[in-house]
Amino acid sequence: MPPALRINAVAFVSASNAPILVRTFVDGGDDLKYHYLAHTSLDVIEERIAQPKFNECYLGLLFSMEDVAVYGFMTPLKLKIVVALALTDTVVRDADVVLIFKAFHTAYMRSISNPFLRVHASPESSALVDPSPALLTEANADARKVTAFKRRVDDVARSVLGHDNILE
Amino acid sequence: MNPSTSTASLLQTLAPIADPVVRLADGALLDYLLIELVPTLADSSSVASARATHTENEMRAAGLLPARSAKDKDKEASDKEEDALRARLEAVGAHVGANLAERLSRDRARFADTLDIIKFICKDVWQAVWAKQIDNLRTNHRGVYVLQDNNFRPLSRISSHEGPQEAARRAKLYVAWSTGLIRGALARMGLQGTVIPEIPSLPQCTFQIKLPKGAS
Repeated sequence: MPPALRINAVAFVSASNAPILVRTFVDGGDDLKYHYLAHTSLDVIEERIAQPKFNECYLGLLFSMEDVAVYGFMTPLKLKIVVALALTDTVVRDADVVLIFKAFHTAYMRSISNPFLRVHASPESSALVDPSPALLTEANADARKVTAFKRRVDDVARSVLGHDNILE
Repeated sequence: MNPSTSTASLLQTLAPIADPVVRLADGALLDYLLIELVPTLADSSSVASARATHTENEMRAAGLLPARSAKDKDKEASDKEEDALRARLEAVGAHVGANLAERLSRDRARFADTLDIIKFICKDVWQAVWAKQIDNLRTNHRGVYVLQDNNFRPLSRISSHEGPQEAARRAKLYVAWSTGLIRGALARMGLQGTVIPEIPSLPQCTFQIKLPKGAS
């Protein structure tokens, strides 16, 4: 039975618009495509924020491209989460997507709370500067330290997709 | 499987992750931790600085470093130690403050302006950490805010046999963690500013927040 929602990719972007994590869950999928998707969704997000619709964290459907529908979420702390769901014919309920975003946000919060997680220990990230992690792609991350974050993100995606669809 | 049941089960699988059960801890634990934090960090940093001065003295004896006058050596050492200790306490507090701000701001609306952020700290953060709110908030509308707490919990039980002035002077170290808490929370919410604590009289404490130009 095909599950109702399939997450194709998720991207976390920090307050200064620096990417934190881009994770794809489609085999054969193109990582770069989702990087690009995250980039373009940033523009749409900025546009939506400029409108005086102030009270919502959940930004709804940003846009849809070829085979994915892209949803956005921005926390009061300006962390942006972008989720690409595969287009389906079934009705996608807002409440479900909000739940998915909250789960990703919780995963991010738990990983950020770890004081020993510092991916790019830049010399100026002292106590004054907020030590939020820099880009965590497979290529340039300290693999041991960020696996917990990735694992939590994967857990969220897995529980959405159902056990028969573990994609790595 | 029709979509409604699969999404109901989606709710069940994701709900524990999305909204984890809030685990509570006794407020007294924080009080004890803060009380013990100061002497413990003081001990550990004194060990580190003793090691540093030992190597420094060795190098002086070997002639690699110019000799310093003995008169201001002791005063400088103890001041430096206190500053280092205060910096460490503030760093710990900053980390806690940032993550606390992250957690507490989850379900609320977006911050309207800087005053909203400061009010969030005065109400939500203070309530979560010390079970009370800030008693008085003053601002000059040009980036300076003064938060006043008339019965600041970490200070409520400090006393010294040398009199209230001495107690107030020693108590400065005990508010360093809270100073860092405010600064960390502000930083995570996007405001880089300085926080200066002042103890006019125990157990009253004021925090002066200076935000850079450009913030309302």
